[in-house]
Amino acid sequence: MRNDLLWVEKYRPKKIEDIVGNEEAKATFVEWLRGKRKSKTKKAVLLYGPPGVGKTALANAAAKEYGFTIIEMNASDTRSEKAINAVAKPATSYVALDAFSTSTQSKGNILFLDEVDGIAGNEDRGGVSAIIEIVEKSQVPVIMAANDPDIDKLRPLKKVCLLIRFQQIRIPLLIALLQRICLLEHVKAEFEALEHIAQNSRGDVRSAINDLQSLSEQNRVLTLQDTMTLSSRNKDISMDETLRGFFSAKSIAEASALLSRSNVDYDELLMSVSDNLPKRYTNPEELAAAYDFVSQADMYRGRIGTENWHLLKYFYNSMSQAASVAPESYLPFEFITPPIRIITLFWTKGKRSTLDAICGKIGAQCHVSHEKAKHDFVPYVKTLLQQKKSSQLASWFKFTPEEADFLAKMSRY
Amino acid sequence: MNLGLDYNRELGVFSVKNCNNIEKLMDTLTGILDTEVVFLQSCTRCGKEFPCADCKYGELCTTKNLPLSCVCPQCLRDRKQFEEYLEKF
Repeated sequence: MRNDLLWVEKYRPKKIEDIVGNEEAKATFVEWLRGKRKSKTKKAVLLYGPPGVGKTALANAAAKEYGFTIIEMNASDTRSEKAINAVAKPATSYVALDAFSTSTQSKGNILFLDEVDGIAGNEDRGGVSAIIEIVEKSQVPVIMAANDPDIDKLRPLKKVCLLIRFQQIRIPLLIALLQRICLLEHVKAEFEALEHIAQNSRGDVRSAINDLQSLSEQNRVLTLQDTMTLSSRNKDISMDETLRGFFSAKSIAEASALLSRSNVDYDELLMSVSDNLPKRYTNPEELAAAYDFVSQADMYRGRIGTENWHLLKYFYNSMSQAASVAPESYLPFEFITPPIRIITLFWTKGKRSTLDAICGKIGAQCHVSHEKAKHDFVPYVKTLLQQKKSSQLASWFKFTPEEADFLAKMSRY
Repeated sequence: MNLGLDYNRELGVFSVKNCNNIEKLMDTLTGILDTEVVFLQSCTRCGKEFPCADCKYGELCTTKNLPLSCVCPQCLRDRKQFEEYLEKF
């Protein structure tokens, strides 16, 4: 298997000049960072623009180049006032500098809040206000990044920030970058192939590099024809297509690139992959290794929840490793889809609804919880109804005839 | 000036200070000057200036005619020059 380091990581910009495009935005940012200590300069900067254009890369590269220690918070997963204060307040005070700075060379901290436009909903109550307070009292530079700064919630935040706009990366710049990577990775690519990849990426550098890598894994000589398999950024890839591409992937990178393009539900994907692994791997050792990776992915999925999307890359990586345990042993097979658990849940949905209704009625009459009704009362009510189906008990609980019948006949729950 | 245009009194020239509202700035200047305002692009490889009209991706480009960096059509196609440019890294 080739070196499976993702190219987006391998070619992540290490210096500001390595970042493709948006020269004016970079220059404005550096001017702000250097002028930070002047009283007229705003304490915070908001970098905004479409995904994959270098906002996060610039924050990290600048911190490294100017000797700052970057304290990063993905604002999508730490949105509440309490959570933000717990991390950001210490990071922005002089007192904490020694605690956070691990290097004696560090000139201090930079606080970086990524995806601030992800702050929304009840869970994030007070989040924007907390950020504003931190910015106003901060002794260190505060950098924020967003895709869409025009949402109402961010309006107060924009008043305290210097706004710097990032544009989509132009096609010629993308082609030039892809040409460079091809040379360094010893990939021979037709100009028209790189052109197509660049056009398909819609100005997103990450997408372009991922597409180049996934195509290059299959063909070290890349033609325009090879790039025709690229899905448009906006096209949904079905579960069937995802599973087919996933299990036939020849490398971690190829599987990961496919997952990043697919729009299937992650929980359903996990279940589908689990169901199909025994069909994919007949070798017990390979199967065990694959399940290990899927269990890792499941753990990351649990941690991602609905907020921690910065952990998605680890989810993709673990899933991709499950697909690539033994790529040489792949043979096409018929997929189990939808997942068995979903089928089972669907079949039993009606039964579960009836039992829930019964437990609700028992709980209301006996003043007990739903769970207590289910585990402690239902067995006795069932027994009593089996002895006398049309007893006063059924009418006291206000069971419908169907519910009484269901309870009397159910064998287990 | 709110749109990002700056004026240097000593030199007597206007310059774009801020690109956040660049599209609106260009529309405004076009309206004032009664002629289309376009910016030349600066090639990141050879350093020469060239107009967006020379580029074949104009129809797809969301930043056409804006004062941003780019690569000229000649440099994009010239493999030898590209390899020489890479040797600088």
